[in-house]
Amino acid sequence: MMNYLPLVFVAPLLGFLVLALSRSRMSENLAAAIGVGSVGISALTTAAAIWQFSSAPPEGGFVSVHLWTWMKVGNFAPTFTLHVDALSLTMMSVITGVGFFIHLFASWYMRGDDAYPRFFSYMNLFVASMLFLVLGDNLLFLYFGWEGVGLASYLLIGFWYKDPANGAAARKAFVITRVGDTLMAIALFILYREFGTLNIKELAVIAPTQWAVGSTLATATCLLLLGGAVGKSAQLPLQTWLPDAMAGPTPVSALIHAATMVTAGVYLIARMNDLFALSPFALHMVGVIGAITLLLAGFTALMQTDIKKILAYSTMSQIGYMFLAEGVGAYQPAVFHLMTHAFFKALLFLSAGSVILAMHHEQDIFKMGGLRKHIPFVFACMLIGTLALTAFPFTSGYYSKDEILHQAYLTGNHDLWLAGLFGAFLTAVYSFRLIFITFYGPERFDAKHHAPHGAHSMDHHIPLAVLLVLSIVGGFIHLPLDAVLPHAPIPEGEHHGGIVPHLPLFVSLAGIAVSWFLFLKRPQIPAALASGGLAPIGKLWKSAWGFDWLYDRLFVKPFVWAAETNKNDVVDSIINVVPASLRGLNAALVRTQTGSLRWYAAVAGAGTCLLIALVAFH
Amino acid sequence: MTAQQLTALLPFFVISATIVAVMLAISVRRHHRLTAFLSVVGLNLTLLSLLPTWLAGTGPVQVTPLMVVDGLASFYMALVLVATLGVMTLCHAYFEGYRSDREEIYLLILLGALGGLTLACANHAATLLIGLELLSLPMVAGVAYATSDRRAVEGGAKYLVLSAGASATLLFGLALIYAATGALDLKALAAILVNANLGQPLVLAGAAMVLAGLAFKLSIVPFHQWTPDVYEAAPAPVTAYLATVVKAGVLAAALRLFHAAGAPPSPLVVKALTILALASMIVGSLLALRQDNLKRLLAYSSIAHFGFLLIVLVAPGSRSLETAGVYMATYLITSLGVFGVIALVSSPAGERDREKLSEYQGLFWQRPYVVSIFTAMMLSLAGIPLTAGFIGKFAAIAVGVESDLWLLVSGIVLGSAIGIYYYLRVISALFVPMPGYERVSESMSWAQSAGGVMLLLSMLLMLAMGVYPEPLFLLARP
Repeated sequence: MMNYLPLVFVAPLLGFLVLALSRSRMSENLAAAIGVGSVGISALTTAAAIWQFSSAPPEGGFVSVHLWTWMKVGNFAPTFTLHVDALSLTMMSVITGVGFFIHLFASWYMRGDDAYPRFFSYMNLFVASMLFLVLGDNLLFLYFGWEGVGLASYLLIGFWYKDPANGAAARKAFVITRVGDTLMAIALFILYREFGTLNIKELAVIAPTQWAVGSTLATATCLLLLGGAVGKSAQLPLQTWLPDAMAGPTPVSALIHAATMVTAGVYLIARMNDLFALSPFALHMVGVIGAITLLLAGFTALMQTDIKKILAYSTMSQIGYMFLAEGVGAYQPAVFHLMTHAFFKALLFLSAGSVILAMHHEQDIFKMGGLRKHIPFVFACMLIGTLALTAFPFTSGYYSKDEILHQAYLTGNHDLWLAGLFGAFLTAVYSFRLIFITFYGPERFDAKHHAPHGAHSMDHHIPLAVLLVLSIVGGFIHLPLDAVLPHAPIPEGEHHGGIVPHLPLFVSLAGIAVSWFLFLKRPQIPAALASGGLAPIGKLWKSAWGFDWLYDRLFVKPFVWAAETNKNDVVDSIINVVPASLRGLNAALVRTQTGSLRWYAAVAGAGTCLLIALVAFH
Repeated sequence: MTAQQLTALLPFFVISATIVAVMLAISVRRHHRLTAFLSVVGLNLTLLSLLPTWLAGTGPVQVTPLMVVDGLASFYMALVLVATLGVMTLCHAYFEGYRSDREEIYLLILLGALGGLTLACANHAATLLIGLELLSLPMVAGVAYATSDRRAVEGGAKYLVLSAGASATLLFGLALIYAATGALDLKALAAILVNANLGQPLVLAGAAMVLAGLAFKLSIVPFHQWTPDVYEAAPAPVTAYLATVVKAGVLAAALRLFHAAGAPPSPLVVKALTILALASMIVGSLLALRQDNLKRLLAYSSIAHFGFLLIVLVAPGSRSLETAGVYMATYLITSLGVFGVIALVSSPAGERDREKLSEYQGLFWQRPYVVSIFTAMMLSLAGIPLTAGFIGKFAAIAVGVESDLWLLVSGIVLGSAIGIYYYLRVISALFVPMPGYERVSESMSWAQSAGGVMLLLSMLLMLAMGVYPEPLFLLARP
């Protein structure tokens, strides 16, 4: 069954190889055909798998496709087996479906770039790695994909490498996620040492029999896994790389830093839910981290002026919601929100990309304004995406975010619920701030020289239109996750009712109203606040609570200081004794190679005498 | 003489006939390509003539008291012939542009190959000495082949004097043993070496002198000093010959001398061998450390390599024989590749071979394919996994570990560690471009020449041995 499944990652992998080996000599059309086509094949494969999966549901709710055994050393024999269940299918359809439309959009967006084939080779590499990540049935292969997407992310953030700032952003993302990856690797070591396997299914069976609920080792392992997840998903305290990652081309931000890769942490925790069930503390920490991140990111987004940075902080905050959901045990709403978020955030990013190109590569929203008349279609996309983001009724985000807050309340986590509720208010304020400043109000650009120009090509319109539809109807998709993920532990007797289920809606509407009042009706109020008494707070928010500054003081400065103090490398000077003594011996021995025959003969004679002496005296 | 014995001697007949044919052809008319062609055909026929005995698998065939053709002999004959073929191919590429007489070099090499075959089959002190002389004397002329070059003549003279001295020492040692015990047969000599206290003083001295003679031919410290000078003076193909054919032939004889008795040699001999081996590994590696002449560097590297290899003489047994075969084969193929590249980038023969490390600086950017082969060969010499050199070194260390020869094993480890440095130094020189270099794409015509094909083949073989060494071990199993 599903023998064709490997095609889903083989196609983009081949695409990557062909594009990479072409050394950028390929024509743009051919490169686009290969780059977009390969992901298209993946998407079709995924569709076939979904059709087969739902028309004839397999026993146990999953299919294993064994490909090969990687290597065999003792009883360590990691197999390469694809594990297909509702969760991996959901991830696959997001990666290949949304990924396909983002690729299509990118084929329009990147036109004219010198390194067009290189761009698509990285994108295909990313898709293949991300599929490894969600399809591997053991943690080793998951980790392989995990590192693969990290590499692709690094390459794509620094895609325009001629600007050193982009390279710095790429390095920052790489190094900070590396911190999380290291923690995760340690978790893998512990799991292998304790259970002798990295197979996720086996772990889910063995771990509960050997580890008591709440045992130290279980908590430590789960916290280490959480460390990996927060690194990849840009949550506190490893969140600082995501805003800088916006240095990459906008389709990259849409695919990697909004729809797929940054949600890998959410996927990891959902995948390992049996393990997290053994450590209520670690699971609660997931929720707490999510709640804090979504609030901090919400405040930060309020003060940003760069259109992509606003979206970046909003992504951070939405992933915070997913973490919050997982923290209360509501895995299914978390994955549901992951999917709907992929739809509307991809839409928002692609629309933002369209806006940026229309504005001649201007990203500051305060240099835009009144754009709705110039690019109405993009405006519609942006508006629908924003409504979904603020969980406006009948949009996809409404169903998923509502579900998360509702279950947080029902499971008795009222503090997390309250944070989420306030976050919803912030979301409404900052996202409509973006809409009002960019598309309404006075035009703040030089209309003569920099008039906005809209796009008129199908590879621009189709992706936006499809994602627009998905952002609306995505909420009606039912994910059959019951076989994979547990339900949230809602105590008996808790039920819907009262005002609680409706609060998020009121809060969001209030947020929109406040936003309208502050940024459209009375724009002088926020300006006065920012320059007046609230200036320090505004500065703090604008700098994302000063985490960059803090980390610079805590880690970078001491490290640089230590490196400078130890410029002459004390350790090296000890090790240098070895080569120095070898050089000395070499110099001494070289003197014996005189080139003179007499001397050689004498040495050989002496050697013979020595040998005789050696044999004779014992 | 039975038909079986005649079949066993077939390679000797074929190669002798080839030598006569080539000699006659040269005297009739000088023709470079024809001479090379005749030699190569003859060598291939000789290689084929190994097959009947090998396929029959009848076990050792004793041909007069002088010679024996057994598994060991067949394997080393094959090695000698393959290496000679490789050298031949290099000669053709290398001497094509040589202005003086080119044909005699083939004759010399064929004669040397005959010596190698004799050594591989030697079962008697007389055959041992004849083989040894036949193997090395033609190469005196080979080293000094470019008679107009003072350096070459000087190298030839050095090789002549020292090699003759070594042979004399060996002969004297054999005579002493003969005087004391009357033994000339290699089996009997081997039995004497096994004897715990080696008996009388005459035997003691004799054994030490035999050891010294063999050590000279294998460039073991302290009989190594000729090696760099001669390697440097000789034309690149002749250097390849010295590094491969000569070493394989002498190793075969040494193995027979130390393994025929089927017991570990006397502790006295073991002590001497251990000291020689350790000295070679360390001194060879240290001398190569800062060497700027590639040929000299490879000479020192061969000193170190044969230091590693001596471990198989200290610990006899079928495992050591197998290891010796594998190590020799991997070293041979790698050396052919390395010297092949030197010969190919040096020819047509100019004043001097391209041998200074500075002349290889950034060569990758001009000749990427050839340099890639060179790099792979260097990695193999350093013993990096997935190359043939790794397999050889691994097998040698395995033998040492099995026989508890920890001193020698640590010597191999230390020598290899130093080795990484100088091999990587060469590799880094190949890739670091000269300032103001020009990036030119090389034409692929080199690959179609015989030398290029040989290079590609040797690299493929080298990688095959490194990735899938099973067949090689089977072949080398006695």
